[in-house]
Amino acid sequence: MTRPTSLEQTSPPGTVPAGRAATTAESLHRPRISRTAVTMILLAAPCVVLLLLINAYPLVVAASQSVRDGTLIVTGDFVGLGNYADVLTSPRFWSAARFTLIFTIGGVFGSWLVGLGLALLLRTKIPGRTAFKVLLMLPWVVPIVVSSTAWNWLVGTPTSPIPTLVAQLGLGEVHFLADPTLAAVTVCVFKVWVSFPFMMLMTSAALAAVDTTVYEAAGIDGASRRQQFVHITLPLISRTTYISWILMTIFCVNDFPTIYLLTGGGPVDATSSLVVLAYRTVFQDLQTGPGVAIAFLMTLVLVIVSTALYRQIRKVDIA
Amino acid sequence: MSLIASREITSREPGTRGQWWRFAVLVIVTLVVLVPVFATLLLSLRPSGASGLLTFDNFRNVFANTDVRIWLANSLGVTLATVLVSVIVAAPAGYVLSRGRSKAVSGLSLLLFVIQSLPVITAIIPLFVLFARLGLTDNLIGLVIVYVASTMSVATWMMAAYFDSIPHALEEAAWVDGCSVFGSFAKIVLRNSLPGILSTAIFAFLLAWNDYLVALVFLRSSSIFTLPIGMQTFFQQNAVDWGSVMAVSVVMLLPPAVVFAVLNKYFSVGGIGGSLAGR
Repeated sequence: MTRPTSLEQTSPPGTVPAGRAATTAESLHRPRISRTAVTMILLAAPCVVLLLLINAYPLVVAASQSVRDGTLIVTGDFVGLGNYADVLTSPRFWSAARFTLIFTIGGVFGSWLVGLGLALLLRTKIPGRTAFKVLLMLPWVVPIVVSSTAWNWLVGTPTSPIPTLVAQLGLGEVHFLADPTLAAVTVCVFKVWVSFPFMMLMTSAALAAVDTTVYEAAGIDGASRRQQFVHITLPLISRTTYISWILMTIFCVNDFPTIYLLTGGGPVDATSSLVVLAYRTVFQDLQTGPGVAIAFLMTLVLVIVSTALYRQIRKVDIA
Repeated sequence: MSLIASREITSREPGTRGQWWRFAVLVIVTLVVLVPVFATLLLSLRPSGASGLLTFDNFRNVFANTDVRIWLANSLGVTLATVLVSVIVAAPAGYVLSRGRSKAVSGLSLLLFVIQSLPVITAIIPLFVLFARLGLTDNLIGLVIVYVASTMSVATWMMAAYFDSIPHALEEAAWVDGCSVFGSFAKIVLRNSLPGILSTAIFAFLLAWNDYLVALVFLRSSSIFTLPIGMQTFFQQNAVDWGSVMAVSVVMLLPPAVVFAVLNKYFSVGGIGGSLAGR
């Protein structure tokens, strides 16, 4: 919340000067709202109206849907917390919660490790560094619809190129998307493939800001490369690391296309995350109340987790 | 001997130590990472028959025999509208976030953060009901409204972060000359903010062009489909015609790739994180 308080030296037209003037009689007779304030309100208004109408208001409607019967078209009777009780006692919900957790942990740390590794490799002067950076950003830039199609072609059936290759290596017939465990792993790997460029870019920016003379000093003091990495590099980029974890956690929990386009949530719900389950409950099983209840519970967890991580950043900031 | 030689290089230039294994690792990783992209390009150019090496037949085929042309037009229209409206709405809000100093501005900042972390799925279900009543489902305008709203938090942050870098002295000088706040925003701040506007535009472009979930929920008829939804119809047939699918994939892939290649230096995912951290 630290922002340069720009208007302190020279006040914009129509403002009463801040500070000293606020105590004078003049300020008691100033217009209730200054011209500047009106302009500021008008400038922010379209954004605020849009956020309230399209993002906030539907949440209120969703809250009401989650405690009712009925379908998308017909609003049903009030059922209290019945939908929540149904959802919380259903094994499908808990299996989806479990997969969401696995997918998020795998996605966040997998993409972070790969991104960090590549950012470190790209830190030194290497021929074609810019070309590598641009090419390695492609998985993030390519639409998920396109990349999931390519992945489906590569691993989708036992006769696809990669299963064929695996079979030729003598590892037997592998069903990447038909075996429940392997499908979950494949979806996580796909998510890492999609997300590591984001981590790479974030980490690269943080590494670029590190003053390299620190390493020279540490080298003179006899710190090994590993010690330098653990005790200098990681702490210096920790702020960015936490921020990228938070963002990636939000991206993973909210993710729909990465999972849905590769497996559709199957086989037999094995890769059904909470978002996929909410979508299928509402639009395939046509049960609006329980579906919205799932989305709400998910939102709750997400807000708690991201707030906890956000506090962690603040701590790092002070330390 | 080789040991001595490598030691000499090490002592002379610390930066070059291990440069070649690093290079080799990068080449291998990059090649492996890009396999899906190569596969897409190759399959789109592979002839369906046995004759010939590479061909544009798949592209001719999908443009002549499917609705791809309509979907492409829909996607382009929706995306450009989103980019335009998004920048027009986010720029002034970003200015308020950057220059304002009242409690209300902190409130706006908090609102943006909270909304950013809310899942789209929670809002999309009630929105579907509301928009159905207004006739905005199965409608491209409805799609644009949702996309613009989805870009709002990050777009406003990105604009604010850029405005922060513009010296306040410029506006202050204009105020002394009798310029209004709006005048200084429009004539001075905005005029000097092309890089910030481009970053925001790229973000909005990618969000709208790549979206799958909102379009999947809202769109029902083929004449209204955007490319991501239209492409899925290829998978509903008995045998997937990979040549056609990959040709559509390439059509879908090209605009973001071109935007990224041309405007690379304005592409900042880092900006998103930085803006989140700063506020």
